[in-house]
Amino acid sequence: MGARMLAYRYLFEQMVRRELRQKYKGSVLGVAWYFINPLVLMGAYGVMFGKFLPLPRIPDYLIFLIVGIVVWTFFQQSLLSAAPSLVEQSSLVRKARFPRETIPAASVAVQAVTLAILMTVVVVVSVSVRGTLGFALLLLPVLIACLLGFALGLGLAVSSLHAHFRDVAPILSAALLPWFFLTPIFFRPDTFPFFQRHAFVRGVIEWGNPVAPFIEAIRAVLYEGRVPTAGVLVYVVAAAALALGLGRVVFRRLDRELAVVL
Amino acid sequence: MGGLDRGEIVLEHASRSFSVRADNAGTLKGLLIGRSAPGPPPVQALRDVNLHVAPGETLGLVGRNGAGKSSTLKVLAGIIPLQHGRAACGGRVVSLLELGAGFGRDFSGRENIYLNSALYGLGRREVEERLQDIIAFSELGDFIDVPVRTYSSGMYVRLGFAIAAHLDADIMLIDEVLAVGDESFQRKCLRRISEQIATGTTLVLVSHDAHSIERVCERVVVLEAGEVACDAPTADGLLHYHRQMGTGSGETASVRRPAGYPVEVVQLGLRDADGRAARLFHSGDVVRVELDVAARGVAVEPVRVRLEVRDEEGRAVFRTTQGVGRVDGRVPIAFEIARLALLGGDYELAARALGDDEADDLDRADRLAAFSVAREPEADGVADLRGTWELGTRAEVAP
Repeated sequence: MGARMLAYRYLFEQMVRRELRQKYKGSVLGVAWYFINPLVLMGAYGVMFGKFLPLPRIPDYLIFLIVGIVVWTFFQQSLLSAAPSLVEQSSLVRKARFPRETIPAASVAVQAVTLAILMTVVVVVSVSVRGTLGFALLLLPVLIACLLGFALGLGLAVSSLHAHFRDVAPILSAALLPWFFLTPIFFRPDTFPFFQRHAFVRGVIEWGNPVAPFIEAIRAVLYEGRVPTAGVLVYVVAAAALALGLGRVVFRRLDRELAVVL
Repeated sequence: MGGLDRGEIVLEHASRSFSVRADNAGTLKGLLIGRSAPGPPPVQALRDVNLHVAPGETLGLVGRNGAGKSSTLKVLAGIIPLQHGRAACGGRVVSLLELGAGFGRDFSGRENIYLNSALYGLGRREVEERLQDIIAFSELGDFIDVPVRTYSSGMYVRLGFAIAAHLDADIMLIDEVLAVGDESFQRKCLRRISEQIATGTTLVLVSHDAHSIERVCERVVVLEAGEVACDAPTADGLLHYHRQMGTGSGETASVRRPAGYPVEVVQLGLRDADGRAARLFHSGDVVRVELDVAARGVAVEPVRVRLEVRDEEGRAVFRTTQGVGRVDGRVPIAFEIARLALLGGDYELAARALGDDEADDLDRADRLAAFSVAREPEADGVADLRGTWELGTRAEVAP
């Protein structure tokens, strides 16, 4: 995959540019839309859990919140845009033999552009408000790279699955909503009395949900200014590697018949 | 690819079938465990097809709809995999398969040139080197900066072909697309294809238009129900194809004389030895020319009928005139050639009826019928004077 993708890197670049431009075309606010969604989410949860239902012991709650929201939004949008990507680009698939991984990879890359922009803002705000400038921050690029790999792997899998089985994207968007609430985005498992009493449930929330350690790790670096625990680091790297492996295997398996089912 | 020359194409025992279920995609479970639920039997698109195309060869692929032509091209392009057998192409394969496939409709022609070239693995610099040539070839002018959704199908073809023709393909696969677009552009495309062939590009052309195939291809493969029914030099292949289609009609065209002539040939057709309408023959075949002569108004006597065979340059290679007596109303006449003594090429049969004192201006004809003769490997020219060689026998002839 790697070598072929390299030979077609200009195609990849073209697709990313194309999708970015397509997004802005005809929209008055253009790039601003990239910020509006996470900001609205942040505002809503900030008001809800910061004012009405204050969660105990989370200082600078908005920053706590935005880190989780940015990571989650990237993850969710990557899957939601990758899943139908092959179907949407079927005319390309039917035209020539090129590495089709390029198509879902471009979808994820477009989301990565958003992530990069948002992350830059979050890093600046977080570091200045929380004073988290330190060596731990050097881990951020590594964690982001793992997050990209994780999303890319799952993106490859869902895009090829959706091409063969068109229920995948709707199932995915239905699953992502409860998934959002089960992910420690607006709460912290260790601050809920319920989780304190039921260690098993807490364990499931923290470790059974593969997105949680990514949020935990990036939050540790950005919000708390500390190096994530070894367990979380290992988990994040392993999750990325596993997702990439899975995506590669599933895509390989389904890629052959792609032009037939599209 | 493994041991193949650039431009070489190999298909070995190639088989491919397609499921005809309405839910094309099957079930998730079936996919993951590699099995699918029972449904109607799959359609066999390719059945043990064997094909070898040498670098620089030009192959025409013909057959009825559903005979497997497009599937063959898609297999060669690597877009659809085989279920059994092997398909391999050497070098860069460029395919023009579907009109407008791969074009982003909201993007300009220029942007689509970049994207389409990138699809074949070209980098930015390689695209930029070709950009001006592609735009010039497409003749799209200012339209190149307009979103392609506003293009007509002819403009799509222009752009698609212009891009494909500038990708330095080792193998070009073209499916029917040339049929769209105006004739002058088609000619330009054919010329460009010939140029590429001259530089060693291999061409596989799928077309219903026997004329394009005749002009471009040296070899024809006729597919029938996914199998190779005939693999032969172009004229033979097309002969087979026309027989198969049952459409080998002696098309006639009229070159009308000014009104006022008393008699004319109103119908002209060619038939083969079996009495079927035909326009492709072999040297030595029986050819039956059938024509109807009609008098305008009153009966005319005597009437002469002139037949003339012209070669590709329009030179008359044979001419004959026959008195046919009195013509009242419509009279059928036949002329049988027992042995067609012409070599491979395209010919035209011109027929004219002449009244009693009418001067025979040779340029005029009432009806024309085009026909072709299959090329023979051992002889070239117009007249078929093929004989037998005897080597080293002269000494023995002396008593």
